[in-house]
Amino acid sequence: MKTTLIWLGGLALLAATLTDFLAVIGRHVGVPINGSIELMQAVVLLSGSVSLVMATWDDAHARVHLLTERMTPALRSFADALSDLVSLAFLLALLSGSLWLAADLWGGHEQSELLGVPWAALRLIANLALAGTCVLLVVRLAQGLRR
Amino acid sequence: MIMATTATALIGVAVLLALLLAGVRIGVALGLVGIGGLAVVLGPEAAAIKAGVVFMDTLTRYELGTLPLFLFMAHVFFSIDASRDLFDAAAKLLGHRRGGLAYASIAGCAGFGTINGSSLATTATVGLVAYPEMRRRGYADTISTGTIAAGGTLGQMIPPSGALIVFGIIAETSIGDLFTAAIIPGITQALFYALVVFVLVRLNPAIAPAGERAPWSERWRALGKVWDIALLVAVVIGGITMGWISPSEAAAMGAACALAIAARRRKLTRQALFRAFEETLRTSGLIYLILIGALIFATFIGVTGLADAAGALVAGMGLGTFATLALLAVILLLLGSLLDGLALMLLTTPIMLPIAQEVGMSAVWFGIFITRAMEIGFVHPPLGMNLYVMQGVAKDVSIGRIFRGVMPFLASDFVHLALLILFPAIVMWLPDLLGN
Repeated sequence: MKTTLIWLGGLALLAATLTDFLAVIGRHVGVPINGSIELMQAVVLLSGSVSLVMATWDDAHARVHLLTERMTPALRSFADALSDLVSLAFLLALLSGSLWLAADLWGGHEQSELLGVPWAALRLIANLALAGTCVLLVVRLAQGLRR
Repeated sequence: MIMATTATALIGVAVLLALLLAGVRIGVALGLVGIGGLAVVLGPEAAAIKAGVVFMDTLTRYELGTLPLFLFMAHVFFSIDASRDLFDAAAKLLGHRRGGLAYASIAGCAGFGTINGSSLATTATVGLVAYPEMRRRGYADTISTGTIAAGGTLGQMIPPSGALIVFGIIAETSIGDLFTAAIIPGITQALFYALVVFVLVRLNPAIAPAGERAPWSERWRALGKVWDIALLVAVVIGGITMGWISPSEAAAMGAACALAIAARRRKLTRQALFRAFEETLRTSGLIYLILIGALIFATFIGVTGLADAAGALVAGMGLGTFATLALLAVILLLLGSLLDGLALMLLTTPIMLPIAQEVGMSAVWFGIFITRAMEIGFVHPPLGMNLYVMQGVAKDVSIGRIFRGVMPFLASDFVHLALLILFPAIVMWLPDLLGN
């Protein structure tokens, strides 16, 4: 699962690289690529969504360690669990807001101007990533409780 | 908006500090205080919707494509051991002088800073290459570790810089202008470090003995290994500075050419590519979460009017430009003892940027100023992340010795920061000259 996600996010990175690289070349040789920015937005959203999941999966999010490093192991475990719980609350709030918007705009058939990239699909990807991140935090919390 | 007062904002800032010190993820702490504050001020529905808007805007923001692509470029270069090649080239050119390897480390850090925007990564990668060589040549542990820990901070200032990209997004300032403005401060910072090495070696020549002079054939061979990287950097940074390409396009060109260079050196394997993807995604995710949180927090601070109130307060004190900026610097350095770099930037920018603008400084100047203050935090106890990274590399040296080694460089950092305040043209001259 993780490997698949990394390849998916990585291919999106490659697509972003290629899109903007060709756009620059195209502009300078007089063959501009119309809609390259819209394409970039779509692939950057995909890589960004995957990256949120990956950073949470690997617990790579930045934290201030000044006090936690000086805590006893028991207190540090408590601080870790608190951090996961607070993170879950924030991500759920974010997800609720994002789902609210997606539901509101569902009937509007939003799409990008030049290429007609469907925004509903982009919102779906982003919300799935958020939901996945929430699931990872729930799993981590459950594992912490079991310990 | 009954609760939209500066008191509400100050309570939010206090809660934020408490959450950060309790070890809550930085992006989460910023975002949660932002959403909570907006819920108090505007109502829960508006807060949730605003958070949803910020989330989607951040993920689809074209300019933010700059960040993962520059990270991707850096990770491709990691996989081909570019840091070793850059240090080797500098060492072959300078290593025969007294303190030559220390100069080479600074040059290696500056060179590596042009392909990677992180202080920690620069310290770790250059440290792994340069530290053993310096010790082998009889350099004292203090100058070896101090030079690399301080030099590592160049990664944050010299474009492309992750910190400047993040600042550009949250302050809605041109990333290209920020990169252009960072060039002279980055170069002068490196020159300051070289000056420190020069003085230290003059005072005590035994700490950094001269080595053997490498013949020109070896020097050319070492330079031959980095010419393509140097050319790529020149095109990427030059293209942005001259306004030929946007930072996002430069990042894409950088990533594409890094892949081509790796392929030419026959190091673009499936495993190397996978590792570069994994590292890039992990670091991007970390920064995305922080940015989403910071943008929500900034909205909350904006709604409460705290920044305007702080600006009016400072203006009312009639301190003048220099004293005001010096005061901001002191606050940043004090907060930098508690918070790590990004948290410091994201917490203080919404409040301090309007104050700096109130006394006539531009957002671009402030971006360089706060990044410089952040860099000092990387080598400043008790946090001083670079010092701990350096200890991870130099396991035989105590943290106290490393701190002793970095002290002269830290002193030069304070002087450099003061010069940026006294002479803003150090920052603004190049962007003004190029009409950005």
